[in-house]
Amino acid sequence: MIRNHFKIAWRNLIKNKGLSVINITGLALGMAVVILIGLWIYDEVTFNQNHENYDRIAHVLMHKTSNGDKRTRTTMPFPIGNELRAKYGDNFDYVVMSSYHGDNILSIDNKSLTKSGGFMEPDALRMLSLEMLYGDWDGLKNPNSVVISETTAKAFFGDVNPVGKPIKISNLLEVYVTGVYQDIPFNATFNNIEFIAPWELYVSSYSWVRNARDNNLWDNNSYQLYVQIADGTTMTSVNAKIKDAVYNNLPDGSKRSHPELVLHPMKDWHLRSDWKNGVNVGGFIQYVWLFGIVGLFVLLLACINFMNLSTAQSEKRAKEVGVLKSIGSSKRQLINQFLSESFLVVTLAFVLAICIVFLAMPSFNQLADKHIIFPYKNTLFWLINIGVILVTSLVAGSYPAFYLSSFRPVKVLKGAFKAGKSATTFRETLVVVQFTVSVILVIGTVVVKKQIDHSKDRSIGYDQSGLIMIGKVTEDYEGKYNTMRHDLLNSGAIVEMSESSSPLTEVWSGGSGFEWQGKDPDFLTNIVTVCVSHDYGNTVGWNLAEGRDFSRAFSTDSTAFILNEAAVKYMGIKDPIGKTIRWNNQDHQVIGVVKDILVESPFEPVKQTVYMIKYDNTNWIELKLNPGKSVSASLAAIKTVFNKHAPNVPFEYQFVDETFAKKFIAEERIRKLSTIFTFFAIFISCLGLFGLASFIVERRTKEIGIRKVIGASVFNLWQLLSKDFIKLVILAIIIAIPLAYYGVTNWLSNYEYQTEVSWWVFVMAGIGALMITLLTVSFQAIKAAHTNPIKSLKTE
Amino acid sequence: MLLEIKDLFKWVNSGGNRIFLLNDIELTVNEGDFISIMGPSGSGKTTLLNVIGMLDDFNEGEYNFLHEPVHTLKEKYRANLYKEYIGFVFQSYHLIDELTVYENIETPLLYKKCSSAERKAMVADMLDRFNIVGKKDLFPAQLSGGQQQLVGIARALITNPKLILADEPTGNLNSKQGEEIMNLFKQLNDEGVTIIQVTHSEKNATYGSRIINLLDGRIV
Repeated sequence: MIRNHFKIAWRNLIKNKGLSVINITGLALGMAVVILIGLWIYDEVTFNQNHENYDRIAHVLMHKTSNGDKRTRTTMPFPIGNELRAKYGDNFDYVVMSSYHGDNILSIDNKSLTKSGGFMEPDALRMLSLEMLYGDWDGLKNPNSVVISETTAKAFFGDVNPVGKPIKISNLLEVYVTGVYQDIPFNATFNNIEFIAPWELYVSSYSWVRNARDNNLWDNNSYQLYVQIADGTTMTSVNAKIKDAVYNNLPDGSKRSHPELVLHPMKDWHLRSDWKNGVNVGGFIQYVWLFGIVGLFVLLLACINFMNLSTAQSEKRAKEVGVLKSIGSSKRQLINQFLSESFLVVTLAFVLAICIVFLAMPSFNQLADKHIIFPYKNTLFWLINIGVILVTSLVAGSYPAFYLSSFRPVKVLKGAFKAGKSATTFRETLVVVQFTVSVILVIGTVVVKKQIDHSKDRSIGYDQSGLIMIGKVTEDYEGKYNTMRHDLLNSGAIVEMSESSSPLTEVWSGGSGFEWQGKDPDFLTNIVTVCVSHDYGNTVGWNLAEGRDFSRAFSTDSTAFILNEAAVKYMGIKDPIGKTIRWNNQDHQVIGVVKDILVESPFEPVKQTVYMIKYDNTNWIELKLNPGKSVSASLAAIKTVFNKHAPNVPFEYQFVDETFAKKFIAEERIRKLSTIFTFFAIFISCLGLFGLASFIVERRTKEIGIRKVIGASVFNLWQLLSKDFIKLVILAIIIAIPLAYYGVTNWLSNYEYQTEVSWWVFVMAGIGALMITLLTVSFQAIKAAHTNPIKSLKTE
Repeated sequence: MLLEIKDLFKWVNSGGNRIFLLNDIELTVNEGDFISIMGPSGSGKTTLLNVIGMLDDFNEGEYNFLHEPVHTLKEKYRANLYKEYIGFVFQSYHLIDELTVYENIETPLLYKKCSSAERKAMVADMLDRFNIVGKKDLFPAQLSGGQQQLVGIARALITNPKLILADEPTGNLNSKQGEEIMNLFKQLNDEGVTIIQVTHSEKNATYGSRIINLLDGRIV
């Protein structure tokens, strides 16, 4: 019997090739999208779960209030670690002080590589439950040790056990490898940590850290703090206890910003990382939800399309049902027949979907910046998929099965069969829903694109062409500015060189306590500070709005300030040139104002910034390449000079424009993903529309025939049939526009520098939807209009 | 002369055999004729009617309608020709279920692009003539079979055709309703409309002025 069911099912598929292709493709696309999104969501929500105690680990953050604005920062004062251990020890399994993680040079005799890592207290290994390949979790107890990742170990020592081998950090600190841990997976925050060195080494090696320890500095925030709370406690209860741990220890003069500690649980690091006024306001989780909903919706639409197309065929199949029933088929057998058909279609679609997923995986990974591997070995994955096939066949097949099998044989054989009005309303509702979603997605995608373009068109305030920057990752460059600049200029590879305390694409430091004439004494200042060499302006090509650049001709420039326009506005100073600003117990004269340089997010306003000359606090070198020479030749020449002055440091540079372009990655990713989803939604909506159109045409065949006989032209009939669909789509547009408007304004409110939501976006999306509708429907309408009426009228 | 058919053949090929649906038809119809086509089931009555109505084509032969050679005309021009001069009446009426009596009768005028005022006048006239003014806002399902056929004829007549083609117009009606319809045809014929009807009934055939008997696609 079953075999017979499948035989008939297969023949039916072959007979209606066109419809079968639409059906299977639509379903397969829907399933492929859901599988991809499912894998993606799984990857996102299992972020950091590689750490055994991930549900008890937290990053300690600090809310600080200034001028009524509560900001959340990650930096902690030095004594906080010991304070937590001493006074609140019961609440914690581990308290781990840590440096910022960043690029450092690791080197052995003949080899040096840039590796990302940091200094942490010894419990870090236990807390993060690292899989040790060599050595154990006590690897950081000795201050002259380091544990390195598997990749790092391979890069330096090949396959040999490296434990006990010497290695140098930053060409300065001599340590011995005491352990090797398995690389931390891609979907973990600590993924890029390639080595961990002991905190004690950090303290003893850098004077400013020692200073913070020796003087018990509670008001200098420069360190990271991670904790694992004790078993039996909760984040909330521990959080309540330690809230004021910093505040209570601050000297009275520093209490104004009222620092408040907060535990950020590890499970929230990745998806809920945004804070607003001291409250966690989510973060990337909103996109997980959004894409999850869209993915499910795409599958649902594909399923409903399947039902739609099947029932549209029902009038043709009705006769078959009549015949089968009159020769003794039971209703149950008919239901089985139709369910077998849907099972066959769904299975074929699933096979196609798996192929699509498999082929799309690399591009999808690239697009979403993921390292998802197709889990073909995972039994659970296949079990879920088999479940999905069964449920989809049942859902997609049930309506046609029960609907068709309930036909009365006498009625359908007489040819008087007609589908009910409710079936039509159901389909019309569906089309409206489909198009509402499609129009919303189109508008959303266009607005995302517009926002990106808007921010890209923004003036950045300096010249990125041929500008490279190099991190001063070791001490090897110290005190060599003038000689290096001299050599580089002589080589002809560059036209100017400068140094600065922070890179051109990030804000690294800010200060408070600025005083000037006319300042409101209650106003807590917070201004970005950038220390530069004299040649900074010429190198980056900033634009002076007023006054002059730094110059070696004025010895007083060593204490001079150059402000950006945002700072002038922030301070409310009129005619700033020549005015005095007091900071750190010193008077600084303003000598110039520059146009704002876009350093941080292109979606936000530029922060108030002061530039000052300071040669002993620089971390970056900027070089303006000679436009008259080829880039590769210049880089080779520069490398020679760098190798001469800092022989043990790998020469690594970045082009400023490339680094800058990375600021758009998140938004570009959203744009690309939403473009793809929009395409799928439109495509599947069109399939639905196509199905509905063929259904309606089928229903109205007789009417079309009559109208033709009494004089309707093809154009008349096309109008007649398209009109109803246009009405539905216009209804969809009317529903979609306010929803889309609400959605995009909501999304744009994430950005301070935002594009406007122009009316043309809505008009365009509406016209686009109408055009697509007409194209889809016209195919059916014109086909019907060309049918010879004697065929459709021959019912007697 | 209204139309003239010469040496007309129509066939289909089925499994290597050629089956003739119409075989060497020769027919001349003059204005004012009332012709009945008779014959057993499958003899080609409806096919001949469809060919005359230009809804169906043929394989060989000549067909001149008002001196226009239909067999050489393009589809579009042919459609214009039958829209202008021919009205159809069907056994199962073929009214549009979603439209009222009034709208059903009005529809052909819409396709002829008549002005609204013109349409109103013509439909009102027709309703009056057939005595169905009171039913103008009803839907086909609310009418009896005879009334539906009356509306069908009214719709066929609204464009003032020269020729009415009726395919068993009384086939679905009881004898009393059938008689009324036949009387109406007689009356229309007296007013100058040419009528060709397909019928099984000897009695109905007597209303006409001429009878054509078909057997296996051939006039006998």
